[in-house]
Amino acid sequence: MTPPRPANAALLAMALACAAISGRPVSAADAATWSGSLKGVFADRCFACHGALAQQGGLRLDTAAGLLAGGDAGPVVVPGDPAAGTLVARIVHADPAERMPPEGEGEPLSPEQIETLKAWIAAGCPAPADESPEADPREHWSFRPRVRPPVPLVAHPERVRNPIDAFLEAARERTGIAPQPEASREVLVRRLSLDLVGLPPQPEELAAILADESAEWYETLVDRLLADPRHGERWGRHWMDVWRYADWWGLGDQLRNSQKHIWHWRDWIVESLNADTGYDEMVRLMLAADEIAPDDLPKLRATGFLARNWFLFNRTPWMDETVEHVAKGFLGLSLNCAKCHDHKYDPLRQEDYYAMRAFFEPLHARLDVLPGEPDLERDGIPRVFDGVPDVPTFLFVRGEDTKPDTSRPILPGVAAVFDFSSVDVRPVRLPKSESQPARRPWVIDAHTAAAGRRLEAARAARDAAPSPASEQGVAIAAADLAAVERRGAAMRGAWSAEDLAGAGSDDTLSQAAAAAAREAVRAERTLVAARAKSTVLEAEAKLAAAAAEAKPAAEQAVADARIALGQAERSVAEPGEAFTPLVGARWTPTRFRNSSADDPPIPFPTTSTGRRSALAAWITAPGNPLTARVAANHLWARHMGRALVPTVFDFGRKGTPPDHPELLDWLASELVEGSVPGPHRHAWSMKRLHRLIVTSAAYRLQSTTAGNAEGERLDPDNRTWWRREPIRLESEAVRDGILALAGTLDARIGGAPVPAAEQPASTRRSLYFQHTDPDRNAFLTTFDGAGVKECYERERSIVPQQALALANAGFVHDAAARIAARIAPATTPVDDAAFIDRAFRAILGRPASAAESEACVAALSQWRAIESVPADGAVEPARIHLVWALLNHTDFVTLR
Amino acid sequence: MRPSNTVVIPPRRAFLADLGLGFTGLALGAMLARDGVGSPAAWTPPDGRPHFAPKAKSVIWLFMNGGVSHLESFDFKPEITKHAGKTIAETPYADVQNPAKLALERAPVPDANGLQRNTLFPLQTGFRRHGQSGLEISDLFPHTARNADRIAVVRSMWTTDSNHGAQTQFHTGRHMLDPAQPTLGGWVHYGLGSINDELPQFISIGFREYWNRKDGLYLGPAHDAVPLRIDPANPLDFGRPERPFSPEAQSIGFDLVGQLDRATAVEYPDDPATAARIASYELAHSMQQSVPRVVDFADESEETKRLYGLDLPHCRDFGMQLLAARRFVERGVRFIQIQHGGGGAGAWDAHGGLKANHSNLALAVDQPIGGLLEDLARRGLLDETIVLFATEFGRTPGTQGSDGRDHHPFAFSVWMAGGGIKGGTVHGATDELGFHAVEDRHYVTDIHATILKQLGLDSRKLEIPGRKRLAIDHGTPIDAILG
Repeated sequence: MTPPRPANAALLAMALACAAISGRPVSAADAATWSGSLKGVFADRCFACHGALAQQGGLRLDTAAGLLAGGDAGPVVVPGDPAAGTLVARIVHADPAERMPPEGEGEPLSPEQIETLKAWIAAGCPAPADESPEADPREHWSFRPRVRPPVPLVAHPERVRNPIDAFLEAARERTGIAPQPEASREVLVRRLSLDLVGLPPQPEELAAILADESAEWYETLVDRLLADPRHGERWGRHWMDVWRYADWWGLGDQLRNSQKHIWHWRDWIVESLNADTGYDEMVRLMLAADEIAPDDLPKLRATGFLARNWFLFNRTPWMDETVEHVAKGFLGLSLNCAKCHDHKYDPLRQEDYYAMRAFFEPLHARLDVLPGEPDLERDGIPRVFDGVPDVPTFLFVRGEDTKPDTSRPILPGVAAVFDFSSVDVRPVRLPKSESQPARRPWVIDAHTAAAGRRLEAARAARDAAPSPASEQGVAIAAADLAAVERRGAAMRGAWSAEDLAGAGSDDTLSQAAAAAAREAVRAERTLVAARAKSTVLEAEAKLAAAAAEAKPAAEQAVADARIALGQAERSVAEPGEAFTPLVGARWTPTRFRNSSADDPPIPFPTTSTGRRSALAAWITAPGNPLTARVAANHLWARHMGRALVPTVFDFGRKGTPPDHPELLDWLASELVEGSVPGPHRHAWSMKRLHRLIVTSAAYRLQSTTAGNAEGERLDPDNRTWWRREPIRLESEAVRDGILALAGTLDARIGGAPVPAAEQPASTRRSLYFQHTDPDRNAFLTTFDGAGVKECYERERSIVPQQALALANAGFVHDAAARIAARIAPATTPVDDAAFIDRAFRAILGRPASAAESEACVAALSQWRAIESVPADGAVEPARIHLVWALLNHTDFVTLR
Repeated sequence: MRPSNTVVIPPRRAFLADLGLGFTGLALGAMLARDGVGSPAAWTPPDGRPHFAPKAKSVIWLFMNGGVSHLESFDFKPEITKHAGKTIAETPYADVQNPAKLALERAPVPDANGLQRNTLFPLQTGFRRHGQSGLEISDLFPHTARNADRIAVVRSMWTTDSNHGAQTQFHTGRHMLDPAQPTLGGWVHYGLGSINDELPQFISIGFREYWNRKDGLYLGPAHDAVPLRIDPANPLDFGRPERPFSPEAQSIGFDLVGQLDRATAVEYPDDPATAARIASYELAHSMQQSVPRVVDFADESEETKRLYGLDLPHCRDFGMQLLAARRFVERGVRFIQIQHGGGGAGAWDAHGGLKANHSNLALAVDQPIGGLLEDLARRGLLDETIVLFATEFGRTPGTQGSDGRDHHPFAFSVWMAGGGIKGGTVHGATDELGFHAVEDRHYVTDIHATILKQLGLDSRKLEIPGRKRLAIDHGTPIDAILG
């Protein structure tokens, strides 16, 4: 996109281009040619390497003076002589490697631009005298330390409920705009309820609040909603967008992306938000719970953030997604732009990209056994661990993974511009239960209990249908239980010997362990023999039932089975100490080497590199200029409908600076350390920031522009927040709200996701729906449900497919009938006027106006003219249709 | 049908400018206003007008999933048959396997696909010259061949993904390991918006399971294709009430919603979302009727139905899709994307049994395609409609197993017709074995650039601040095939 140019410069450039085409000599060029035309071209094509960010060859082209000064090799232009000097020569060079900008770094200048440049050189390189060079990228606002700004004093203190309003009012004072009045209590209740718990207020809830005469009614409601467990579900879904939640998917049953049971990470997010775990702690645990809280399964769930990026076939996409979204999500940096070359706008070198990757290079994923469930296909905690600590990270030349620069491994680190603190990587010694997860006290118990349940089931089967086969089934299950018990005992024995090795008693313990191991081997072989016996019994049964022509084959099968049984029985007594250990965790096999077979297993190491906990400490250090600003911006955007920094994942120089930098810094400071009295005092409390934002006067304003001509005229884009931004509800809030009003919403929190096939009939909240690239719910997707690959902000499109979905989806019709029955129970009949009033209050959270009532009455009679009233006392169709219409009302999907 | 630019509302602010797109771009406008780099005045979203005079209005994009063998379709290489059974190294053309020439390949997943196949496998079908142009087309495509003078074959296509990520790559221009990009249909929808307010303007028919089904990506979901089934009873998701609700009762309901929403619009006078929602409900109401009507062929003559092969079981399904495509084009729909050959790896993926595979699949698509070209031509629609026949990559000259060909990213053929494309043209060439594109080589985005040029769009002018595209994303129009 070409930047706008002053009209005269544009005309001049056009004239020059025409002249160039017509072959006439070009002469008219002046200072405006440089500042109005050429400088813009150079900014696009040259500044990244020859400007404030980098000065390759010692050359800067961001001022005419710099251009004239030349580079290390001397001057690049000769004023007055476009044929001399290297600048033009390099720009027009035929060899793409010699040409400037070089191939892959930028598009060549057009012939018209080159002619303009020549004309300008011919004219003697005229330029304005007061040119200032491009600003130092290190001085960019978001890279500078965050300092808590003083709260401004304003002329209208009655417009200020808390410091947020002081910052905004100070901005409004400069324009003279007065803010809109406060919204009605009905609107505020619906606003707060949907914003804080993602559901509309129930009619009786709304009525109670409207009747609350206390001065503190608003704060009381805010605190109740923040303490509601549904708050974690609502805001959990917001953070799942930013942190890129995705259930596992692959080809059929083959896991290719994310991890099985990754929903434990979702539940951790919901629980952590409800517990108001600090944002810093959440970030630390997501990046490095296995180093910070090893062996703590509830906290290990957090590393789903990293396990989510797992990809079966290739480490590089896994690493690329991790680097890109750690940088975008936590730091607001487009570090991904530095994968192939140095960043064109921010002081991030290509090496910095790979230094970030190096933090994650050792990663592998695994499933850990949960109490009570030893079958990892059924459940388990997906998590990461440093599986390959010594694998070096190499810079990929031009970003191509086939071209690693193996001459120099890249160590973990951060860009030099962030010098507030260094990254201190120290290896972390892990508890033994990390490398030997079966040591966790519940693991052997879980295996034993499961074997016990199998035995009970076998006995029940035998009792239900006694036979030699079912009797043998009991024998197998009993041998299985014995084997599990012996294996558990042998493992405990081995650990005792290992733990006390060197304490003097090792001989006895080793001998005991060896004996236990022999017992375990014997028990396992007994189980094999029991199974072999079962095979014999089956073969004999088949033989007995076989037709004459099948007899020989059946006889052979019996003979073979008997031989196998004999071998199995003999082997029971043979020596051996190598038994099958009970599984405490399972590595998720990768296929990085060859896609047709799993890679060799990765053992669970006894130390972790400490890289990720060091990175986490650096990201969450109070001195990090970006982290708190990025988080506060996300929180603000979701409450207020528009972010302070519009480019929520890019706080760099290519991003858009905040309209209210002091407000952003104040909010960020308040997130890290609260200064305003109130609840939620701990560092990085998100509930503190929620409470601050929703109790501000700015949050409570009307969203209409009506009656504020000054605001519309002077600030039509509402940059000074003189009114509230209306918000199109997220897809989840639309669906959940309908079910909640129908009274059918399932209140259960957490658990395995609802598969696609069960979703149409499901009444669970939408965040529990399976969410993968191939499987996304059609209704949610239509309303701009979260993208699986990236979703820093929800889209808010308005397309006819949404109207079709809301008008036609079966669950909307079902809900309409239930809502109609709820607001006008058959036991207490109401007239149309009362029904309409109740329907408006229930669905839109406000009473109907006279005109609206009139329209509804007319529609009711139209419906009645074509549809008969049911005789059985059920709600009549006309009223159900009316509810349907209000569910399709623009205000139902809008947070006014 | 209204021309595209009659509903443009002067942009009081960037937000409102979206209404000019028939409100489909609302999310985008909001996003862009937020993304805007520098002053918002420096950039405005497209207004739905082409950047220069267009030669074509609509695109019918026919994509064969799995990889059609160029050697059995549009690129006749008798030397393969001549040297059949020899290894490539034993022929005079051993240099095609020079590693430097093979370096463009990028395998996202190293597996047993896309490998070098060394022993030459003879051509599995004959070729003949057709039309006045004498275009060589294989005997598997007689109906396409009848239209030889209408099509321009590009024999020098190349891509870089040797696996089925090439499906994505053909549509977006990027390898699967690169960041995801919008598809061409998404760009066209974004750039040109609506020419018929009663139908979706970007329609997707058939399976497209291999890649993310999102087209718009950072352009916004409003620019995703609307998936459509050729079933008058149920063509669209949520296309009709899922519970009993008579059309009369529903109409009363839609009227009431409109009245109530307009009352809200008075209370919130400058809320573009309310205005857009009112319009979207009106459109949705009419789409419920208009879309099924387009996929209902009751008013088509028997002769026309036969032309598309609707009377033949083997090509009925694809014929119905193409007949629907023509009916959508007639009604001004911009972009109809049709995938043939199932999901996953795709039906054309003839690792074994290539002869039977390609014969059967060609039988399924060829007559409908021939019929489509002739039907468009006789209705005067071909001049303003681009038809593209494309696939993900070619297939190896060497044999895989005993009778198959493997994936081959180094050369493949596509063709285009209509919309200002010069018929009877062959452009570009492969070497004697059909191994590498050697003359006038074209990466997949050159096809994008050619289509955009005919539609009057400059992809660089569509670029969005903060979303820098590379030269390879833009491609270069293939002027040699333009009339």
